Parts: sequence; structure tokens; C-alpha cells
Amino acid sequence: MNPDHLKELCPRIEALEAMPADPGIVQTLTTMLQLPPDQVDMTKVVELVAYDGTITAHCLRMANSPRFGRRNTETIRGAVLALGLERVEAILMGYCPDRIVPAERSTFDALTFWRHSLGCALVSRKLAKLIGYRDCEKAYLAGLLHDLGVLVNMLVCTEEFRQCIQAAREARVALRQIEEQRLGFTHCESGKLLAEHWKFSADVLAVIEHHHDVAAAPSAHGLVSLIHLSDLLCRLRGLGYGYYEGMGIDLAADPAWATLEEECPALRRIDLMRITMDIDGAMYEIVDVVNAIFRP
Amino acid sequence: MNFVPASADQPIRRRIGNFARRSVIVESSVKMSEPAIGDLRDPAYLKIRDVIYQTSGIYQPKEKLYLLASRCARRMGAVGAKTPTEYLGHLTARGNRKAELRSLLNEITIGETYMFRSVPQLEALRRIVLPQILENKIAQGGSPHLQLWSAGCSTGEEPYTLAMFLSEERRRLLAGWTFNILATDLNDNSLSVAKAGIYGEHALRSTAEPLRRAYFHPCGGDQLQISDQLKSVVRFERVNLHDDGSMKMLHGMDVIFCCNVLIYFDLASKRKVIQHFHSSLSPGGYLFLGNAESLFQVDGRFRLVHFPGAIGYRKPALDTSTEVKREPRPS
Repeated sequence: MNPDHLKELCPRIEALEAMPADPGIVQTLTTMLQLPPDQVDMTKVVELVAYDGTITAHCLRMANSPRFGRRNTETIRGAVLALGLERVEAILMGYCPDRIVPAERSTFDALTFWRHSLGCALVSRKLAKLIGYRDCEKAYLAGLLHDLGVLVNMLVCTEEFRQCIQAAREARVALRQIEEQRLGFTHCESGKLLAEHWKFSADVLAVIEHHHDVAAAPSAHGLVSLIHLSDLLCRLRGLGYGYYEGMGIDLAADPAWATLEEECPALRRIDLMRITMDIDGAMYEIVDVVNAIFRP
Repeated sequence: MNFVPASADQPIRRRIGNFARRSVIVESSVKMSEPAIGDLRDPAYLKIRDVIYQTSGIYQPKEKLYLLASRCARRMGAVGAKTPTEYLGHLTARGNRKAELRSLLNEITIGETYMFRSVPQLEALRRIVLPQILENKIAQGGSPHLQLWSAGCSTGEEPYTLAMFLSEERRRLLAGWTFNILATDLNDNSLSVAKAGIYGEHALRSTAEPLRRAYFHPCGGDQLQISDQLKSVVRFERVNLHDDGSMKMLHGMDVIFCCNVLIYFDLASKRKVIQHFHSSLSPGGYLFLGNAESLFQVDGRFRLVHFPGAIGYRKPALDTSTEVKREPRPS
């Protein structure tokens, strides 16, 4: 990252308080939370929170804040339970604007962003189960939050980011390549700054910062590799950023594959084609689920 | 922006539940006209799926078991099997199991032959495979010529699709390049149909109107015939993929398409054919199979490459250890 850009970016990111969430989920959750407490199904609340990366991020942030004794909560369920119904509702009212993104900031279809995040969460959990990864729920959480920086860029450098999206779409290349050229930083770096400021756990932070560059991750190599591969699979199977990325990927030759093998030796004997087709099959349902939530 | 009303939450939960339990939404996915299928939770379907995968390399994920079940239902009716378990016996224990497996595979792959059947494969060809091959050829000082092979071309839809696709690229990617397509099949009747090049709406259902105007002419009724100009770039030959002598003659291929052909072969034959394909391909060339076909434990020399919506097998250009295809840099 260009140090000048970093310097300029830091205060703007640290000033971010409200982050837009999907209004469909906000409305459904709000309706549910307004019921008498004894009628609220906590499992359902956790499930709905887990559909949306922004609400999840806000809940984790607050649950891990000094006000709550820095509990080091690392799961969505843990965060919701620590906060209680009232505070989850307060988060929805206070930090998740009911408008999706102000019109002047809608650099690209925000639904596409939420779709990709939820898709990546579901694929990460699916892949984690298939290869016997030790913490499938952590995989889900990391998948959900891995691209938090995209939302950050959309909010802190709106016009430049809009141009990046447009250029990436036209060149059919990965978004980060254009971000690097035009902004001097990528969504990985801006996402990391926010995640640090919001005191996310080290492994989620590593995923946000290094999911496109696994080798550079200082820790959580298995998790970062898992999310890297899931992100690629999503983008290869129609759950990317809404445009065709001209890429041909030899997954088994990707350094992330070898890294993940170290944590999941079962991967060495795995039938990659079969896994791909299993994920392809699951993708039909994932797309179905994602579309049911984020209606186009 | 559409809002998801509170009442919509129930279907979402049901769908999520379905996702988690891996049970497929049967009722909404199977057309009413198809034979009734049994309970998809019947483990016999998974066993049938595995028998098919082990013998043919065609794989159906759990989420698409309903497709397999509907195909099985047709065959169960034909052989008089009352349950999936009973039908599994027809595929594994009975004397005519090979014939029955072939009939089931015919059901599974039925209706797959039409032009522009796999657009993601063509997009991969356009965006990644051909640019890579052209670049290699230019770097090596090779002649500006491409050779593609449609192995098991049946009635010609695939080679003519490739011919149209490449012809369209003459003005762009392939400016200054020439190409030809070898199309082979074992069945003489299929080859006769292919050479005649006359197709109806079923085969042309995904062929855009400008392409119909450019590469076909009307020939009575609703049928269209391939133009002589397009025919001239496709060479049809009768080739038995099992015949070592013929196969060894075919070399210098840049891309081979062999969709839903190897599924009928046993493992040993499949290995031999894939070996021949490997020898026939130029270094850096690609092999495309049917969408659900796998080469797992058949051949380890090809690299499995994922493209958006498609999968291909690449013959390494030089040393496999250095061949890591990463995302392209922006131009």
C-alpha cells in the first residue's frame, strides 16, 4: 500500500460508524425483535444476523468492545447472546441505515456485494465440512466478512471506487488489481484497517487482509487459504461481483491448496473434480438461498 | 430495492433447512410429465450415483439427485423394478448389468446434443484458452494455424458450433489465423447426418438468429442446412477411439472436445484413450469433457483448470511444477 494513501485513509475509516446492511434483513429482524421477549426465537435471530456481513460485523464489534468487557467473542451466536435482544435492536436502529446505500454512493449494486459475501460464507462452510476442517462455523464467519473492505471503499472513496468497479468490469479482471493501480490500496487493506479498529479476532483479520495473498498471512494460514479458495469458487461459479472474470485457475496448483493440505491432510487424497461438482451442486441451492434473501 | 417481508422468512428458513440437511426440493424441481420418483432420501440412490461414477466418471452431486432419480424412474419402469434398491440390483448383480448401465447412461445424457450447448466452455475458449494458445504459438514461432478435434461428434452439432464460433472470431481474436476442425465418430449413420448438416429447431434452439443467417440456408420445412463455406472447415472421419493405429495418427491438436463419450468406456479403455488424447495434444493444449465428467484416477498428467462455469484439462506446456495459472493481469 502507498503510505500516503494509508495516512489519508486511516482517519476516514476510523470515522466510519454506520455501515449499510441489507434492508430486507434489517426489517425482518426488527419486526422479530419488537415481539415480547418471551416470544422471540433466539436461534432465528442468530440465523438472520448471520445472513448479513454488516450486522454481524457490528454485533462482533460491540460484543468485543470495552463496554462489554472485551469478551473476545468469536462466533455470531456468542456475540448475539452477549449483547442481548435490546442491543441487537439498537445496532439495527443506530448503525445499519435503513436505506441500502445513499444514491450518490451506490457505486455498484450493493446486493451483489451481499450476495457474494453470503455465498462465500456458505461455500466456505461447505468446503470446510468436505475436507474435515476443524471449525466450520469460523469458516462461515470469515467467509461472510472477508470482503468487508469493499463496503469500506464504497463509503470512503466513492467516486474512485466506482471507477475501479467499472474498469474491472471492462477489463474482466479481479477488482483488487484495479484498486491497486488506481487507489494505491485494495479492499483487503482498507478492510483490515476497519477490522483492526473494530477489534476483530486475529484470524478473521488475517482473512480480511490476506484472502488474495495467502502466503503473506502472518497467522491462520489454513483459514485464510480456505476462504481464498472459496472466494475463487464463488467467482468461478456465478457468485462474484456480477461480471465475467476472465480467469483459468488450477486450484490444486494454487499455493493455498498446499497450505490447506497441511491442516487437512485428507485433502491429499481428495477427488478435486468431485469436490468441485459437490460445490457446484450446493451452489444451486446457495444461489437459491441467496436470491431468496437478496431478491434481485 | 425490494424488501423481504417478515412473512418471507419462513420459506427462507425452509430453504436453509433444506440446504443444511442436503435433502433436495423434489416437488418443485421435477416436471409433472416425468415418471414419479421415489423418496430421494432412499440411500439406494446414492449407491446408484456411486456405481455410475465408478464405472463412467459421471457424477451427480446430492443436490441434483432428483435428476438422476427421474432418469432411474424411467429405467425402473422399463425393467419392472419397483424400488431403487431393486433397480440397483439390475445395475450391479444381474447378468445384463452392463447393458442396463448403458441404457441408464443414455437416459442421463439424452437430449444433450444441440448447438451452443455449453456457452461457458466457449467463453473459456474465447477469453482464456485461445489467447493462451495463440500466445504460445507466437512465442515459439509456430504457424498461425489452429487445429481442434471433436472426438465422438455424433451428428455434428459440436464441430459445427466450434466452426461458427471460430469463424466469428476471425474478425477479432483470430485475425490472420486459419483453423480446421477434425470431427470423428464411430457410427456411420451419425457421420452421414453430420456431413449432410441439416438441422431442425431442437438442434438450433440456442443458435442466435444472426448466426443462422450467416451459416445456414433453408432447405425445406423448418429445417436449415449448414453452408458449404462452414462445412469446408470441418473434416469428418470415422475413427474408433479404441484403435491405437488410427489414434496415433492424430497429433498436433490444440483443443480436443470429447463430451459424454468416455462415460461408456471401462477404466482401462478410458485410460488408453486419454493417453492418446494426451499424445495428440500439443503442449499447453486443452481437453474438454462433458460437464459432469471426471478424470479422477484415470489420468494424472492433465491439470484440472477451473473457468467461470466450466472445467477443462490442460496438458502442461513444459514442467508441471512451474505451471501455476494465476488470475490474469489487466491489459
